[in-house]
Amino acid sequence: MPKKIIRVNMNKLEANYEDLPEKYQALGGRGLTSTIVADEVPPTCHPLGPNNKIVLAPGIVTGTNAPSSGRISVGGKSPLTGGIKEANAGTDFGQKLGRLRIGAIIIEGQSEGKDYYLLKITNDGAELKNANKWVGKGLYEVYKDLRKEFGEKISICGVGIAAELRGGNSGLSFNDPEGLPSRYAGRGGLGAVMASRGLKFIIVDDTGAPGVEIKNAELFKTGIAKLVKALGDHDVTKPGGALNTYGTAVLINIINESGGLPQRNFSRGQDDRSSKVSGEEKAEEIKKRGGARPHACHPGCVIQCSEVWTKPGGKDPVGVLEYESVWALGPNCEIYDLDTIGELNRAINDLGMDTIETGDTIAVAMEGGLIEFGDGKGAIKLLEEIRKKTPTGRILVNGTEFTGKAFGVTRIPTVKGQSMPAYDPRAIKGIGVTYATSPMGADHTAGYAIATEIMGVGGTADRLDPKKAELSRNLQVATAVVDSTGYCLFIAFAILDIVEGLQGVVDSVNGVLGANLTLDDIPTIGMQVIETEMKFNKAAGFTSLDDRLPEFMKEEKFPPDNEVFNVSDEELDSVFKF
Amino acid sequence: MPIQVKLYGDLRKIAQQHNYSKGAPNIFNINDIGIKSVRDILKKIGIEESETSHIFVNRAYSGFRKKVKDGDRVAIFPRNMALLYKWYFKKVEDHDE
Repeated sequence: MPKKIIRVNMNKLEANYEDLPEKYQALGGRGLTSTIVADEVPPTCHPLGPNNKIVLAPGIVTGTNAPSSGRISVGGKSPLTGGIKEANAGTDFGQKLGRLRIGAIIIEGQSEGKDYYLLKITNDGAELKNANKWVGKGLYEVYKDLRKEFGEKISICGVGIAAELRGGNSGLSFNDPEGLPSRYAGRGGLGAVMASRGLKFIIVDDTGAPGVEIKNAELFKTGIAKLVKALGDHDVTKPGGALNTYGTAVLINIINESGGLPQRNFSRGQDDRSSKVSGEEKAEEIKKRGGARPHACHPGCVIQCSEVWTKPGGKDPVGVLEYESVWALGPNCEIYDLDTIGELNRAINDLGMDTIETGDTIAVAMEGGLIEFGDGKGAIKLLEEIRKKTPTGRILVNGTEFTGKAFGVTRIPTVKGQSMPAYDPRAIKGIGVTYATSPMGADHTAGYAIATEIMGVGGTADRLDPKKAELSRNLQVATAVVDSTGYCLFIAFAILDIVEGLQGVVDSVNGVLGANLTLDDIPTIGMQVIETEMKFNKAAGFTSLDDRLPEFMKEEKFPPDNEVFNVSDEELDSVFKF
Repeated sequence: MPIQVKLYGDLRKIAQQHNYSKGAPNIFNINDIGIKSVRDILKKIGIEESETSHIFVNRAYSGFRKKVKDGDRVAIFPRNMALLYKWYFKKVEDHDE
């Protein structure tokens, strides 16, 4: 039985099943969302107009018992960047779609009037219901309500108040195992694209689902055994390893020591106060408060980098405080207090936004004089402006670049309209090349996580060496492959060093698809995904001049290294030449 | 000016055992003319090389033979905080004399 596409026509308020076309059958995750968006969405359309679409796709192995493979990709044309967007999240939502043999959900058209809808998917079919009663409410409360109404077993995808405002900073929220709206396909404003179709929520119940079809069960089983072993053996991914013990925020102290942790809206790269919000401090506090750490964002994750942060006494659970979120809302705003960061993160999840974009927006608003740097209470009030849908809130909800312009700021850390994550490109040049050239805008995950070794590139990578085109290209290409499999990007830590683990990934994908891919096919597959995305962006009006970092990064020295971003335009343009 | 040493994660406990801790539990200064390299610092405070992962000397990702001098800032992370890719931050290394 081939996989299906659920095509939701919001004009007619109909959800119909189609067979997944043959040309899409070997695709999943980002490979599938980007291909469908490129095939069906006119690149010049208005992102919030009638011709854009939202595409959701689980990865190839998502829904099986392959370890750490619960990723869901979301695609569309981004209102933040104006280009193609793929954002992904770890949640059991994608696993349930996989088990229901749904290759993709395509949401198209726009409902008439101001009503919002909920799409309910079960093994018996899909239907739309009115969702007006949850409009204007915070997602923590709504997710509780939805579970009460539709049962504890459902998984939820939702967009919040930020998306109701059509904000360029509005994500798609997914539930964690506790039902908290804390797992985000956050970047690029796809929440507004979903809301502008008239859709607020998708809920899925996989009771009675047939499960993922595995064409070669023996090969699949061998593959996941190899991967499980690699993840369990490797220092970074094993139980008691860095991610399991401290979560992604283990990086706070490390990147601060390297001089690349941006402070005060990207004005310097090191501050000893950063230790107050480190992964070590956070892990200790969670233990004291009775939160959860380590914690899996979806069943079957063996890395378990996630957590549940709470207020003292275990109150008001937030979900995970990621490295990027802690940095964006913390050091980048000169806020060195985990409780304030936790409160901000909870408000952001509640409103349905991206933590990176929001933290960068607040820092730029501080730079513009709206509030002072370090003013945590003021930052919380700014988020309330969004909740109240005030004019100030409507500026902030549109992200860092929009807010910077509104308040006359020139130090705006964005590429293609999307704000930078927690590594300054003047101190770490390779990540700057990825920020500049990724079709996604400034995105650390786009080229962060696969070894040079497997791509056959020499390993010299001094962080200040401006020759980074080849490194970034190979990382971006390999990442596009991982993002299509459904595996979490963090498996890369293990499969870089343990080649049997990488072979295990390929075996498991071959097992599901009944294919004969080899390690040598990885670059070609990844390149196809990126080529598809770049072709879309070119048709949307992007040129090589959009593959640049903001001017201030070439002009302002970044202490303590006192470096500028000195990667040449020629080097940047050599990353992708198709 | 002494060498400033910063120990992270579980390595703090070792510093406390050796009474180097002053102020914040993970930061202390070493004044010792016998210390010439990262390796010497580890020996002095009783940390095995195999217990460490990332080491930064003045923000440069460094190896055990990296020379150190007065005024340097040396940050040492334990093995269970290993995260950076070996290829991404090339280690600055000096040769044994």
